[in-house]
Amino acid sequence: MAVSPNSQVFLFLSQILGKRIVDSAGRVQGKVLDLVVAVADLYPPVTAILYLPERAKSPARFSWNKVTHIAGQVVVSPPASADAPSGNLGEGELLLKESLLDKQIVDTHGAKILRVNDLHLLKVNHNLFLIHVDVGFRGLMRRVGLEKAADKFFQWFFDYHLTDHFIPWRFVQPLSSPALLRLRVAQDRLSLLHPADLADIIEELDIHKRTAVFQSLDVETAAEALEETDPKIQVRLIENLNPAKASDIIEEMSPSEAADILGDLPKEKAEGILKEMEKGIAEDVKELLEHPEEKAGGLMTTAFPTLPPQATAREAMEFLRHEGENLDLIDYLYVADAEEHLLGVVSLRDLLLASPQTVLGDMMDVRVVAVRLEEEKEEIADRFAKYGLKAIPVVDEENHVKGVIPFKSLLEVVAPQLGK
Amino acid sequence: MVSNGSSTPPIPLGTSGERGKEIPRKGFWKTLAVFFALFGPGIITSNVDNDAGGITTYSLAGSEFGLSLLWTLIPITLALIVIQEMCARMGVVSGKGLSDLIRERFGARATFYLMIALFLTNLGNAVSNFAGVAASMEIFGVSKYLSVPLSAFFVWWLVVKGSYKSVEKAFLVACLFYISYIVSGFMVNPDWGEITAQFLNPTVEFTPQYLTLAVGVVGTTIAPWMQFYLQSSVVDKGLKPDDYQYARMDVVFGSIIVNIVAFFIILLCAVTIHQAGIQIETAKDAALALAPLAGKYCTWLFAFGLLNASLFAASILPLSTAYTICEAFGWESSVNRKFAEAPQFYGLYSIMIILGAVVILFPDVPLIPIMFYSQVINGVLLPVILTFMLILVNDRRIMGKFTNGWALNLISLITIAVLIFLSGAMIITAIL
Repeated sequence: MAVSPNSQVFLFLSQILGKRIVDSAGRVQGKVLDLVVAVADLYPPVTAILYLPERAKSPARFSWNKVTHIAGQVVVSPPASADAPSGNLGEGELLLKESLLDKQIVDTHGAKILRVNDLHLLKVNHNLFLIHVDVGFRGLMRRVGLEKAADKFFQWFFDYHLTDHFIPWRFVQPLSSPALLRLRVAQDRLSLLHPADLADIIEELDIHKRTAVFQSLDVETAAEALEETDPKIQVRLIENLNPAKASDIIEEMSPSEAADILGDLPKEKAEGILKEMEKGIAEDVKELLEHPEEKAGGLMTTAFPTLPPQATAREAMEFLRHEGENLDLIDYLYVADAEEHLLGVVSLRDLLLASPQTVLGDMMDVRVVAVRLEEEKEEIADRFAKYGLKAIPVVDEENHVKGVIPFKSLLEVVAPQLGK
Repeated sequence: MVSNGSSTPPIPLGTSGERGKEIPRKGFWKTLAVFFALFGPGIITSNVDNDAGGITTYSLAGSEFGLSLLWTLIPITLALIVIQEMCARMGVVSGKGLSDLIRERFGARATFYLMIALFLTNLGNAVSNFAGVAASMEIFGVSKYLSVPLSAFFVWWLVVKGSYKSVEKAFLVACLFYISYIVSGFMVNPDWGEITAQFLNPTVEFTPQYLTLAVGVVGTTIAPWMQFYLQSSVVDKGLKPDDYQYARMDVVFGSIIVNIVAFFIILLCAVTIHQAGIQIETAKDAALALAPLAGKYCTWLFAFGLLNASLFAASILPLSTAYTICEAFGWESSVNRKFAEAPQFYGLYSIMIILGAVVILFPDVPLIPIMFYSQVINGVLLPVILTFMLILVNDRRIMGKFTNGWALNLISLITIAVLIFLSGAMIITAIL
């Protein structure tokens, strides 16, 4: 592998580790232990080599600038001298072998947790960049030292050409240390994932990584991911946060999801979080906490639109535009009088098609399908199936509207029985 | 989910514990309740340990040497507790499985060869368990051409089509059936005075047969796969360092149970088959020899115990192997995923069951050599894994303040040294 100064060459980390380091006169200096990269760049450049100097016990590092050749052996000029003790990693620096090789990473494009078999580097002129992470079987065989044998075997036995399975570095989120997760790049990458995928990934990680990943998320992403996470793991994640941070995240969630989590937490912890929360939201959540979990009262959300019958379609649209952000659903507008008696319902479709001056009282459907607070989930599921609704309002004995059950909340209850 | 606001809020349990179960808050009952919510991994692991190979070895030990090998169960129990405790602790503290830790600490190459060895030895165990199913069902008059395919399909279906929770429950119930050996033990009215004397005055015969069986008893009780399985189950349960005392109780309890069952099997064969001077070669021989000596119910109980043990181990072992290997290589591994989502996991699991079952169905398969080589790999693998474990459990970066103390390290080192010696001795005597 002769390297001319202007060529581009692909290298694997496994080929560089353990290589002999010599100076321009051919005197042996030591052997390569690890590579240091500056992780802030899109394609991190190798900045230094961690090496074990000849006849020394502890590792040292020297700058990448000194490397003139990296073919059969690493040639350095001027001769290697330790620039800094090995322990000192600078801000935004990462040791490739130490924190990536054999460790778990998140592939943010494929939304999967994978294990790193090798790292793929590109040498352009004198610089070496990390470009891919190798997670494939061929990479594993290369590490074992059987790459050629595996290639030949697959070709001969299955007539299958074994290919590399690379993931571009920009889709890779390393997980091995909390410091890596605090980097700006990390947060951007993880928030690219769909909350449901992010939740799946969080569930699959071990306890320490789970907490580290979760705490690295911004409040909004954390809340979205938390809503999709398994209830037992939700509790664990929240328990590990201080009440202030926990309340910030829970405030971002829908009141019914928030109540679900708080209901599962130990009492003192839940009360501590409620105290930190914004008053209005805390009141809503406390009310939901009063209801048994598998009945209508426990499934409903209190963030839904109600308007008086004399409001016009235009006013209703204005209302949705202003308040919709904070509501769990806007598929239906519920029409109620001053005492909150449920009078009728207007679907979003009706509202969009109506002329702006029409009064809600005139256009509403009075044949409202509603359920009582204590209705069982099976009954509610039957209503959804029979009437084909996206949401069902919940009322008390005197027909006061208390909340609305979105179809999604019910789906979470019945989905396990659908053979998910 | 929203709680109904009753006076005691539910205490969140581990990830696969029963959710929302309310637990009394104080004293003994609380401890007991938490224990039952968190127990399982240690007890299941220990009971799978008494698989067809184990029962065969114990039967042979009892029928050839009477009560004289009984005392070995005491050091074995201690060693088992020490080793399993380290696994449980690593699982609780690191939140990672053993193969995960080995891969991250020792790299791809060591892990690769370790996993191949583990696969081969566990494949041998799978074969011996289907042989156990065949043997026990033949005592009940069922042909192996019926019992083996049916049981293979059953264990495959249980995991591939069931959910982990139902699988775990089924396994916990299966643990109860080991009582059949204890019942059989009492049915033959042993001489308790002599048994106590044997424990107080341990004797060693320096004959090759005696040593081979002693090594066999140790080897079948402390197996490589158990460490992986136990640690993964502890991680799966999602135990926290605060719950660690319960995990340890679970491990101690399980290790004692496994040896109580072993005790009764050796006892049963010692006071019946050994005293009558009958030569046996398999667990099936043992069961059949019991009929004229202790009554046909005793035979049935023995055969039933063997069937249960074989089925139990035949489903857990392939599962544990697939799980361990996938974890090491970063492949999707979960009984909660579909076949297409985790092809390597289900592929490995299915291959082990199919191969294990098919081998038994061929009329002229050399079972004894297969078992033998599987035991040899077992013997080579175990010291390697224990050494890796000892390095890992003393690594502060992984274990923090939960590393081994010097006393525990000393006991572990002695255990490992004895195991290396015994494994080496067995391999050498077997080859000569």
